[in-house]
Amino acid sequence: MGLCKFKSINSVTRLVKKMIEAELISKDEKGRLLPKKLFGETKILGSITAGFPSPAEEELVDTITIDEFLISNKEATYMLNVSGDSMIDAGIRSGDIVLVERGKASKDGDIVIAEVDGKWTMKFLEKLNGKTILMPANKKYKPIIPKEELIISAVVISVIRKYH
Amino acid sequence: MPNETLSINSFNRAIIHIDGDAFFASCEQSRDPALKGKPVITGRERGIAASLSYEAKARGVRRGMRIFEIKKICPEAIILPSDYETYSLLSKRFFEIVRRYTSEVEEYSIDECFADITGLRRPLRMSYPKIAEKIKQDLDRELGFTFSVGLGPNKTIAKIGSKWKKPSGLTVIPGYQIHEFLAQKETEDVWGIGPQTGAYLKNERINTALEFAHKDEEWVRRKFTKPTIETWQELNGKFILPLDVTGRTTYTSVQKVRTFTPPSNDRDFIFSQLAKNIENACIKLRRYNLRARNATFFLKLQSFRYAGMEIQFSRPTAIPSEIINVVEKYFDQIFDQSLSYRATGIAFFKLEEDVTKQLDLFCEVLRAKGLKKLYHSIDEINDKFGKHTVHLGVSSLANSALQHEKERGDAPLRKTLQIKGENKRQRIGIPMFIGAVT
Repeated sequence: MGLCKFKSINSVTRLVKKMIEAELISKDEKGRLLPKKLFGETKILGSITAGFPSPAEEELVDTITIDEFLISNKEATYMLNVSGDSMIDAGIRSGDIVLVERGKASKDGDIVIAEVDGKWTMKFLEKLNGKTILMPANKKYKPIIPKEELIISAVVISVIRKYH
Repeated sequence: MPNETLSINSFNRAIIHIDGDAFFASCEQSRDPALKGKPVITGRERGIAASLSYEAKARGVRRGMRIFEIKKICPEAIILPSDYETYSLLSKRFFEIVRRYTSEVEEYSIDECFADITGLRRPLRMSYPKIAEKIKQDLDRELGFTFSVGLGPNKTIAKIGSKWKKPSGLTVIPGYQIHEFLAQKETEDVWGIGPQTGAYLKNERINTALEFAHKDEEWVRRKFTKPTIETWQELNGKFILPLDVTGRTTYTSVQKVRTFTPPSNDRDFIFSQLAKNIENACIKLRRYNLRARNATFFLKLQSFRYAGMEIQFSRPTAIPSEIINVVEKYFDQIFDQSLSYRATGIAFFKLEEDVTKQLDLFCEVLRAKGLKKLYHSIDEINDKFGKHTVHLGVSSLANSALQHEKERGDAPLRKTLQIKGENKRQRIGIPMFIGAVT
């Protein structure tokens, strides 16, 4: 009462009522006053992530590009356009692009690119009792059993198929 | 004296020089097994052999030979159009593989580099010859063709090493063995000694590189200029010539030349060809943020003679429309309707960095600034949609016509193998294996 130089309690009550109407304060169940938006605080509209520092630098350090994902040794990677259906059961279709790594040591079960009669061929590499054969993934084709030394040029790393 | 060692050290510095064997032809053979073991020649679009496989060399084909001559002496030759895109991709890989071992790599040309491996024995736990061998193995295996390597105490000796045994050689020349190699080398075969100097040395009765190396310094300094003196020092095992590892950051001249067939006497077509070259050269200038003060343009006649003219611009520029306007004035002075032409070319000299200059009297600079902005946008459009998406009207004839008639006009195979998502101008930057894959 001293602060506003009010002479009666009634005046105070009226002011408090106005302030409640303006949602600046409210009353609890015992009639005590509670501050509401008195100090210019911001209304919380729900949680959003804006306002945090730009995530680009810190958080994107540990992501890789699709190139890095598909390729392991950049300098040794070549691409090759698939034609034919000899690897159809391995899910490799005519028109697919395969990324291959040249000079990589090949092991049993790898899909490899070999040189056969002046052409590239893509087959599963199988090593059976010290013998190496090239296995197609299609029953219509016969395995290739090389008569002479087999030249394996590259190992398939990934397959790409673009629809649109 | 003749057999005395030139240096008592092995490798004060360890420099290697690596040279791709028959680089362009090898790029072709390595991606298509059908070409292996066959005489392969590239450069069909130029009508001459630009690169030839060892099989072609063995049949007597030489670099620069005309295609019809080649067909006579080697009818089974496979003559391919150059695929510079693929060669450049493989060239970059070549340098990147060498950089796995050392960052000190000088990209000397598309198929050659120098590398400094001094001090790497301990970190790599290998001797110098072993490091050279490892690099060679990586290159041969991952690029699918062979490289020749020379190891020496400096660039000059390393280069003698890489040439010593080709293809697929690895020649190690420690300082104390230099003299054995130089005794078998003619002076002219040494990098840095041209035919002029070679002829002069012969007059002085100096035939082998060793005889030259044994000449005393005072004599060499009196007779020659700096480059030859430096070569003499390097032949004596000293490390003089540093490696330029900065890569190409700038140029002192830029030129673009293009041949077309059949030869033509159509003034507009020929001028259009020249305009396209000017546009291309300007693209390169702008890429390196350069402007040219002087230019020479030339027309190559069917008779293989040249007609040309040098011009100077009132201010340095990299804006093709300005240059073409100037060139057109002089073009008609040298163009002769009664003659046939087979190529046009432009060369820019006196290049300087493109920084805004003081205002001139007629506010030309302001206009130039506008053009600069315009061309900046054009460069961005062309980067995105492919070269020449936006070009000057005057180049249209050259852009719409085939550059070559008949077989010389065949595009490199890779350009005809378009993958879904690629367009006529832009392809995925990964070399492709070619030939049936089943």
